[in-house]
Amino acid sequence: MVKTFAFISLPIRGAWMDDLFADFLAETREMLEALGGELVAWEDDPGDRARLDAIFRFFHTVKGNCGFFDFPRLESLSHAVEDVLADVRADRRKPDFALVSAVLAIVDRIGDMVDTIEGGGELPDGGDDALIVALKPQAELPVQTLQSLQAADGTEPRDASQGRRSIRLPVELLDRVMSSVSDMVLARNDLARRLRESSAEAVLHEPFERLSSIIADVRDAMTQTRMQPLEGLFSMLPRLARDLSAELGKQVKIEVDGSEVELDREMIEIIRNPLTHIIRNAVDHGIEKPEDRRASGKRETGLLSISARQSGNQILIDIVDDGRGIDDGRLVEKAIANGVIDAAAAAGLSRGERVALIFEPGISTAEAVTAISGRGVGMDVVRANIERVGGALEVMSAPGQGTRLSLRVPLTLTIIPVLTVSSGGQRFAIPRSSVEEIVEIGSRAVEVTRHGGAMLAKIRNRRLPGLELSDLLDLESAVDSDERTLVVLRLTDGKLFTLAVDRLHNHEELVVKPAAPAIIATGLYAGTTLTDDGHPTLLLEVAGLAKAGGLKLDALEHSDRLADTDEAAAPVRETPVLLFIGLDGKRKAIPMAVVDRLEEVGIAALEIQDDLTLVVIGDRVLPLAGTAGGLLPDHALRLFLLTDGQREIGYGIREALGVRHVDAALVAANAASETEGVLLVDAEATTLISPYKLFARHASAPARDRRPACHLASDDPWLQNFVRPIVEAAGYRIAGAGEADMDLAILSMPDALHPAGARQVIRLRATPGEPPDEPGSIYRYDHAGLLSALRVSTGGSGQ
Amino acid sequence: MNPLLLIVEIAGEKVALRVDDIESVAELELLTPVPRSPAHVAGLSTLRSRVLTVIDCQCALGLGHSGQRQAGASAAIAVHDGHAYALLLDNVEDVAQALSDPTPAGARHGGNWEGMSHGIVETKEGPLLLLDVAALIEGIPETRAA
Repeated sequence: MVKTFAFISLPIRGAWMDDLFADFLAETREMLEALGGELVAWEDDPGDRARLDAIFRFFHTVKGNCGFFDFPRLESLSHAVEDVLADVRADRRKPDFALVSAVLAIVDRIGDMVDTIEGGGELPDGGDDALIVALKPQAELPVQTLQSLQAADGTEPRDASQGRRSIRLPVELLDRVMSSVSDMVLARNDLARRLRESSAEAVLHEPFERLSSIIADVRDAMTQTRMQPLEGLFSMLPRLARDLSAELGKQVKIEVDGSEVELDREMIEIIRNPLTHIIRNAVDHGIEKPEDRRASGKRETGLLSISARQSGNQILIDIVDDGRGIDDGRLVEKAIANGVIDAAAAAGLSRGERVALIFEPGISTAEAVTAISGRGVGMDVVRANIERVGGALEVMSAPGQGTRLSLRVPLTLTIIPVLTVSSGGQRFAIPRSSVEEIVEIGSRAVEVTRHGGAMLAKIRNRRLPGLELSDLLDLESAVDSDERTLVVLRLTDGKLFTLAVDRLHNHEELVVKPAAPAIIATGLYAGTTLTDDGHPTLLLEVAGLAKAGGLKLDALEHSDRLADTDEAAAPVRETPVLLFIGLDGKRKAIPMAVVDRLEEVGIAALEIQDDLTLVVIGDRVLPLAGTAGGLLPDHALRLFLLTDGQREIGYGIREALGVRHVDAALVAANAASETEGVLLVDAEATTLISPYKLFARHASAPARDRRPACHLASDDPWLQNFVRPIVEAAGYRIAGAGEADMDLAILSMPDALHPAGARQVIRLRATPGEPPDEPGSIYRYDHAGLLSALRVSTGGSGQ
Repeated sequence: MNPLLLIVEIAGEKVALRVDDIESVAELELLTPVPRSPAHVAGLSTLRSRVLTVIDCQCALGLGHSGQRQAGASAAIAVHDGHAYALLLDNVEDVAQALSDPTPAGARHGGNWEGMSHGIVETKEGPLLLLDVAALIEGIPETRAA
């Protein structure tokens, strides 16, 4: 991105003038970029005085500078806008759509002129007058109010960006310096190693340390030099969306978040076109026309949300619309018609895979090619451009609800934090941003099982597919398989797997260089680097390892299933589930078998007692589940009536989405595990409700096998580890969270509150002697005293 | 003006490399293998804190692994497409002036000699095959596909 500045036909010449002039052009261009967004935001909220002032200041600055550099046409254009804005500021005129459009047109014209001036060309003639006339109110006659403008003049600061001093450099130069800095770091590491080996004079060490710290500073500063906030790119998006929606007769509200996130400036240029393309697509194909939206029960104005955040050494940009979603059926038809896949293969695709067909060459869902998108540049090109720089582009879409495109690009490619590991006696580096956690195989937290060559690691109730680094790389591991270390790795889409390595070494910051094409072609390595001891080391490519290990991305999502059915080839038995949005706004699914019917009750039918919610349906009072973490609606509550054949409970929902079919084995595995399972339904993460656990928790147990319930604070490790076994041995069961009816509560903190619903309380104190402020308490290690108190609490009923 | 040639021994044969293609000749300090890389990639090494990709020329010629795939081997250092490579050599013989332009090689060579060369050049030591550094780095088509 090297710009050659040409300053031909300058009105005044001289080196200092050239500098000033280059500054003027650069500054004008930067302000123009930011201005589009400001204008659109101001149109939305005309009362925003600060914004109006900022816009006014821009035109004022341009006008002043143009006069100085003698560009009469730029001057008259900015002068005209300044006039109109002065009217608005003085409340003589209300901003409207026509006004903003006219101002935007002038912004564009100024941009064109700046480009032409910079290129040293001649300004095209004419057209300015029409633009200026368009500024005038449609209804009234133009009244020039020069005098009032003069008055406004004096109060304005002369230059909006006076405080900032900057120079402009060709990016190529920055690249060269950056590359030299990288080499300098490598040379320093080399020198450090030689100093260590040579037992050199101690007198060398201090200056060497000083050199090291200077190099580190320079490196940081250089990295910073190349970073730029996304703001420059994001500020043009509101304008883009506005123009597109105006052109297409749609209403789109755009939300931009994360403009402050910084990214290598070259990377920003690389994502500019793909991002623009995705937004065009979203407005053109995603968001429906207002009447269609109304018909399908949505707000007329579509929502397009663009957010950026940093995650490790990657930047994630999500582009989400609430439009009609991607018609995967049509995609499949087209893909078959274009010979991308055959019908048999198409039948076996999951919804996620069908939607991902949008990235295949020559597929476009548009009914007709429009002026906005569908001009031949497809999503395949967009994705290829992103992948070329080591990024990724993914799509998720729900019919009728919208589409989410997730774009990921590396922050920068030069210096990254890594974890060094070894296998088979060779050292490798793993980008630390991909490392989720590290677990020793021998430790209690992990349980490793191997069947049919596949390794599975269970880490705190999560089952993760496992790979051996030595197997992947055809290396002979020298370490017994039970003594290896598991590195839990996160793929860019958040899925996890474990990688067994022989040994862990260090956390280091290494200068990563691209590897030779023949090495990159293996798909296993992302680059090469030198460790501090001067050894060349390969940086592992995490996604490549997962692929080489045969972990299909879909298989990762179903990692639970791998654990519970050994025969992967067995036909998949499906079971219907009801998909819905819970009161907490999350997507959930519940097996159809337990759903009796959908009910709607008035809010008066609810009775809330402490943390127990009851609902009155007809003449019955039922426990109501599904209310945790959610807001109850203002008037009517919709709920599912669930039954296990004998008892009923209600489950509050926000919206029912319909029946889907999922793998029965998954549902079974979910019932057996302690945590709620999450599975993919329509390519979106969905919590699977286990009816078994739901009934166990909410339906009151029959009286005959009733054991007295005891409350123990679940966050008190001492109570859980020391007291719980004694209490359970005495015939109690430990009350679950949210249980309201308890026979006993045992408290270990003097200030712990008497839990609601507990009929009796035993207080434990930390000191043997009975202090006056804790009467009736039992010393925490008085075993006999505790047992006796437990017996008293159960009423001595022979427990 | 005919180019200067570096006369070396590769796979037991005396051959020539263009001096312009070669940055320097060095002894490899170390050799770290690259698991699952194409067969002609012998591994990684370093030279003045630069990472070198080590190319087994014998293997690229389709004549099996060189006996020199170890630290201490002689190598010709070349930069190709921005990456630094070390081409493993059996021996470094001499530097000589080319006495002719390359002419197509005859069919007397086995292995992949022809595909990896620019042709035959005359030198004071007789006609020598002038090897193509870029082709050696790329490897034989089979290895490239692997």
